[in-house]
Amino acid sequence: MTSIRPASGVFYIWRGTNFTLNNFVEVLHQSQVVQAMWNSFVLSTLATILSLGITVGSGYMLSRFGGWIQRSWFATIYIFRTVPYISWVLPLYLVNTRLGIYDTYVGLLLPHIAVHVCFFSWLMKGFFDGINPSMEYAALIDGCTRWGAFYRVALPAAMPGIAALAILCWLSTWNEFLFALILSGKRTPLITSTMAQFVTETGTEWNLMSATAVLAMMPALLVTIFGQKYVIRGLRM
Amino acid sequence: MTARFTKFGFDEKERFMLFLIAPAGIVLVCFEIIPILIGMNASFREWSLVNPQRTWVGPKQYIAVFTDPVFLKMVLPNTFVLMILSVGVSLALGLALASLLNRPFFGRAIMRTIILLPLTIAPVITATMMRWSFNDQFGVITIFLSCLGLPDVAWLSDRWPSFALVIMTDIWIWTPWFTIILLAAMQGLPPEPFEAARIDAASPWCIFRRVTLPMLRPVIIVCVLIRAIDAFRTFDQVWILTGGGPARSTEVFSVYAYVLAFVDLDIGRAAAAAGIGALIMLFVGIGLYGLVNRSMEVSR
Repeated sequence: MTSIRPASGVFYIWRGTNFTLNNFVEVLHQSQVVQAMWNSFVLSTLATILSLGITVGSGYMLSRFGGWIQRSWFATIYIFRTVPYISWVLPLYLVNTRLGIYDTYVGLLLPHIAVHVCFFSWLMKGFFDGINPSMEYAALIDGCTRWGAFYRVALPAAMPGIAALAILCWLSTWNEFLFALILSGKRTPLITSTMAQFVTETGTEWNLMSATAVLAMMPALLVTIFGQKYVIRGLRM
Repeated sequence: MTARFTKFGFDEKERFMLFLIAPAGIVLVCFEIIPILIGMNASFREWSLVNPQRTWVGPKQYIAVFTDPVFLKMVLPNTFVLMILSVGVSLALGLALASLLNRPFFGRAIMRTIILLPLTIAPVITATMMRWSFNDQFGVITIFLSCLGLPDVAWLSDRWPSFALVIMTDIWIWTPWFTIILLAAMQGLPPEPFEAARIDAASPWCIFRRVTLPMLRPVIIVCVLIRAIDAFRTFDQVWILTGGGPARSTEVFSVYAYVLAFVDLDIGRAAAAAGIGALIMLFVGIGLYGLVNRSMEVSR
């Protein structure tokens, strides 16, 4: 609501009769905000594609095979899922500065993918568990290679689940804050950390911040309204 | 499968399995395991961003964290209170909402969209909106409450009100998640036990307690497990809402480590704090996993 009030009217709760779209215009004129939204968009999209590409194989493996490799990989994933983000983002900051990829796309992208590896492998396992493997056995008997059975039979069957995860993955990267705060700086600002700057710098510009917040909320709103079927499926595990 | 052993000592099936997890494994090692190792190394050193001499000091940093009264009296209790209250209350609310939504009524699709919204909006945005609405002088909710004749509460400048606000925000964000998963689980339940209970003239509350809850138990336990792990590392809401203040009284574990590293610029101490947190979570996680496994076997 505050986003459509002029700066002078922000503090009047009851008498807010003059509305304006100027806040949006002003926010969109600040190159940092636009840049941050673009960065967040690129980053979320890349992170979604790459992390799904990576986890789909690992989820398939967890679901279809057994033995010590599967068990130890599952244990690894579970254990690293419990590690609080802060415990490895702190040293990651040092790694990134050392490698010279701090505050670049690569430096932000790879940690985001690493976050998704554990949880999404787990969710992917759930999707593949829900698909009957008999089709793949049939394909194997008909002379398909293992890779072919995975790529041509299991993968298309899991597509709805993967679509659901893609939406969730995109949203969670867009919404992620701790990584953005620590690993991004002036060169590659992200939308969430840019928003936080409106709060902490001297005197909060509530009207501009609300406008930014509304802009940052847009993808979430769109997804909720149009893609809720997929989101719900993705959450169900 | 024919066990064709190669020079690597893996057969064809095992090589396929390794091939499938290789990309995920490489990313995990490079960007999670190696940083954790570096962090462990740093936690035994006197390492600060302003003073690049990294002298080895042994477990001194761990002792410093453990003897820090802020860590013991504020951070640890806060973290666990937040974890327990947030998970508990949002589970209860989620159960209630899911039972309400489980029957068909007019406008159910709209209700579902509204309920899903808090989950998809960034915690940062939710927290800023909360901060704004509970602002002492011109927050919408503050003014609404004082109009109702309730005494003024300085929401963000006292310890308990601000901590309550943090917990409320967390509950607000996570209740939808419980609702949706529990609703899905409820709709997947077989109808026969409910019919039987209704024939036996059981009250709705009794049906809920004696039939629905036991059948939902595995789902509930998995949800609680995942949420408890996530609640431990809550950062966004706390950082935006209170920044750990007033006077560090609402700091949770992630905020504590962040402040050590980027405000006090003491990487060594921060790494030690982060390490302690990771260890606590490792034990909690393994304990909870054991619990899940046992209850799953019971329910099957």
